[in-house]
Amino acid sequence: MDMIVTENLTKVFAMPDGSDKRAVNGLSCTVKRGHVYGLLGPNGAGKTTTLRLLSGLMAPTAGRAMVAGHDVSADPDAAKRVIGFLTANTGLYHRLSAREFLAYFAELHQINGRAATARVAHLIDWLDMGSFADLRCGTLSTGQRQRVNIARALVGDPPVLIMDEPTLGLDVLSNRVILDFIRRERDEGKTVLLCTHYLDEAESMCDRIGLLHNGKLVAEGTLEELRAQVGQERLSTIFLKVVGAETPGAEGSR
Amino acid sequence: MILKGRVWVIYVKELVDILRDRRTLIAMIVVPVLLYPLLMLGSVQAVSMQESSLREEIVVVIATSNAGQKAFLDMLIASDREALKREADATSNGEPDDEERPQPLNADVRIANPDMDMLAMVRAREIHVGVELLNYDTIHPDVGQLRVRRHFDSEEVRSSLAARWLVEMLNRCSQRERERRCLLFNIPVRAVEPIVIESVVTSTGGSILSQILPLILVLMTITGAIYPAIDLTAGERERGTLETLMVCPVPVIQLVVGKFMVVTTIAIMGAVLNLASISATVFFGGFESMLAGSQDVSLPFAVFPIILLALVPFAIFFSAVMIAVCSYAHTFKEAQNYITPIILVALVPAGLAVLPTSKLAGPMLVMPVANMVLLTKELLLGASESQIVGGNVTWTALAWVLASTTLYAAAAVAVATKIFGTESVIFSDTGSIRSAFSRRLFRPSPRPSVSMAALVAALLFPAWFYLQSGLGTAAPDDMIALLRGTAIWMPVFFVVLPLLVLLYWRVGVVTTWRLGTGRLKFYIAALLLGLTAWIPLSELLLLQEKLVAFPEFLHEQDAKLLEALKTISPGLAVLLLAVIPGICEELFFRGFFLSGLRGSVGKWTAIVLSACVFAVFHISFFRIPTTVVLGIVLGVLCWQARSIWPAVLCHVVHNGFAVLRPGMPRLDEFLGVHPDKPLAHLPIGVILLGIAAVLLGLMLCRRPSADAEKPQAVNL
Repeated sequence: MDMIVTENLTKVFAMPDGSDKRAVNGLSCTVKRGHVYGLLGPNGAGKTTTLRLLSGLMAPTAGRAMVAGHDVSADPDAAKRVIGFLTANTGLYHRLSAREFLAYFAELHQINGRAATARVAHLIDWLDMGSFADLRCGTLSTGQRQRVNIARALVGDPPVLIMDEPTLGLDVLSNRVILDFIRRERDEGKTVLLCTHYLDEAESMCDRIGLLHNGKLVAEGTLEELRAQVGQERLSTIFLKVVGAETPGAEGSR
Repeated sequence: MILKGRVWVIYVKELVDILRDRRTLIAMIVVPVLLYPLLMLGSVQAVSMQESSLREEIVVVIATSNAGQKAFLDMLIASDREALKREADATSNGEPDDEERPQPLNADVRIANPDMDMLAMVRAREIHVGVELLNYDTIHPDVGQLRVRRHFDSEEVRSSLAARWLVEMLNRCSQRERERRCLLFNIPVRAVEPIVIESVVTSTGGSILSQILPLILVLMTITGAIYPAIDLTAGERERGTLETLMVCPVPVIQLVVGKFMVVTTIAIMGAVLNLASISATVFFGGFESMLAGSQDVSLPFAVFPIILLALVPFAIFFSAVMIAVCSYAHTFKEAQNYITPIILVALVPAGLAVLPTSKLAGPMLVMPVANMVLLTKELLLGASESQIVGGNVTWTALAWVLASTTLYAAAAVAVATKIFGTESVIFSDTGSIRSAFSRRLFRPSPRPSVSMAALVAALLFPAWFYLQSGLGTAAPDDMIALLRGTAIWMPVFFVVLPLLVLLYWRVGVVTTWRLGTGRLKFYIAALLLGLTAWIPLSELLLLQEKLVAFPEFLHEQDAKLLEALKTISPGLAVLLLAVIPGICEELFFRGFFLSGLRGSVGKWTAIVLSACVFAVFHISFFRIPTTVVLGIVLGVLCWQARSIWPAVLCHVVHNGFAVLRPGMPRLDEFLGVHPDKPLAHLPIGVILLGIAAVLLGLMLCRRPSADAEKPQAVNL
């Protein structure tokens, strides 16, 4: 089953100088259930905007996005319910403890009372956060915060996970914890959309990879398909070749 | 419903979050607790410094009613001076001067103009104090009690100081006279007080308390909202938690409502603490006489609940404004920069309201901030000096202040929601704020949003109010000019301006105004309702009059209108009072406004809300109940028919009938109504017939339920 489907997804921003910027330009792609899909691209390629369109934070200028069967623009709340969203921009409330923070988001997902307490306790246990669960978030380390944030994304037990740079700025140990967690989630049948700049990470994790450049999907497929398309072995050289060679003619490579 | 849902969850969390912040606690508790004692101590110091310098320069001008009294007062003052001198010589003996020693009164006693009231002379600054020796002519010199009445202005520094010095002087004289009598008759000191003093106080602009307190209270309520408003919006963005929050399956409106409930709570808590701190300082610090200007005045604790009640919509209004403004800011600092002009803008009407000449009447009733300051001011005035100035806050005025502030608050909340949910506001890195206003990026929509409807209504309301009062004052006696002016401006306000808004934001005009024709049966219902709705409505008016008597001027106005209508042709009267208002008001209230609510709130909430706004726009407080009922009937017609035209027909017929009825004495005869007594009960048969006709009309409006549940399907 297709968990994430975009059709001609487009987002236009008005720039301060009066011009328009097409941050996402006619993006069409599909992610199947139980897959980890890697969305790669240089800075400013439109990855973050794509994720925001998918998660209902923004309304598309044209086209549409479906997540687990819900049209995101028509019913953003239903879409948000099935998505666990984690980005570098998702911060924590410094004056709440990790436990209070998670309980708050559980209640926002309409998990109330005992169910909420149990769910939070389960997540704390599962992500091994017991040692700092009752400290205020403002005092936590980067790795601890990222774990709290992941727990927050999982609080509603969503079938789709959208993760933007989940390992950014983490040490090797925390990095391992998080990648292991993503694999586990995938093995349980969850769908993961992963954005990352660590290409070896993408190589080892992703079932399919899409290369985004200037708001367009310039190459897509499994690692083998990409290798065959571009004629290069390593993902980093594939990436450089596709992105570097991206000229008006490169659209044909889709 | 809301209280058990996510709004409550958000509210509790945000409140805990904000109260854990030390800065909130300092701004909310420490500042008011310290501010008022310091403020009052400071002003006590200032007053006493002023007093000692004034004593050097003021010659107290006292007026009495005749030459005999003048001579007596002069004698008292002179003897007091001598006595003080003797005491000083007896006690000092070369020691340095004791500052606490009483000073003699430097007075210039005059004979008052017999044609002029003493208080009027005080107010005109001709004298500082007026003195009447009430029983001077009949008093016994050795055993009598002299009754002295002083007139002074508690506001004017010189007058109130002079009045106090006069009392001090008289008390010293009284004391000496008592000692003299004790020696004379050999009786105990607890004999009759030789001189008693009573006071008549005037006040040009209320006591110092009532002038300063409202301003401080209103400003503190506003400033109380600043910190939480910034923290919950720009602060949240700066910390990156806004995006975290927005990915939750929670409608933006719930987030905004929860947040601004917190801001409002903090603002109101701040206001309560401020009031409490003021009361405590005055009560325990013994500043009452200083603040109020005379001894027999106490702080009007009884009006505090009313002040708090009025502060609630005001706090909501400002909280929403602040949230809307702060939502644009990316950082805490930026938000603070945006807030400063808001405070300055709020200070202008607040300053206007503090002027001594400002009254809670006319345009001031609906001017934001100013009406709140004036209400507080007049409540304090009314309670503290009721016997002289007269507390002039009527229930009508209170209702106007509450109604207009609530309307502004609703619009501000709607706009705050709109802004808070805007993408370019949530994400700083997605192009400029221009995305929110670029017309080419708007997606066409079939009807306006709630926020658009509320904002347009809130902006139109004060404009319409000012226009009406402006037309009224331009030609106070020319009813026809007023009607013409209203009829000319009505299309501009209720049709053209909303139309421009619709066109700019790419909202479908036909679907918003519901210009489709609808089925025939709704026109029959409209005709029936238009012809008969006045029967139950006039009975409702009578019932209301039994509960709350109409003020006389309303009856006079009605009579004047009727007279004026006789001077123009019936055709013109119908055009001015029925056709133009019928079309314009329907296009706005049942077209624009009701369509804005459609789809966001339930059917009945939408209809009743639009009827209430319809009534408030009629600027006649006493007609609100009947106008609301009429608005509901028109709303039902429009909603059920899915067309504006039946409501227009009903409105035109209803108004037209009311205009033409005085010209139809036969009809009154037929109905058994006395033309001289327009406010008399109709015969019971007519009432029953009328109610039956209205019910029949409403029955005709029913739709099969399956049909009615798909409002989106039918836009035409």
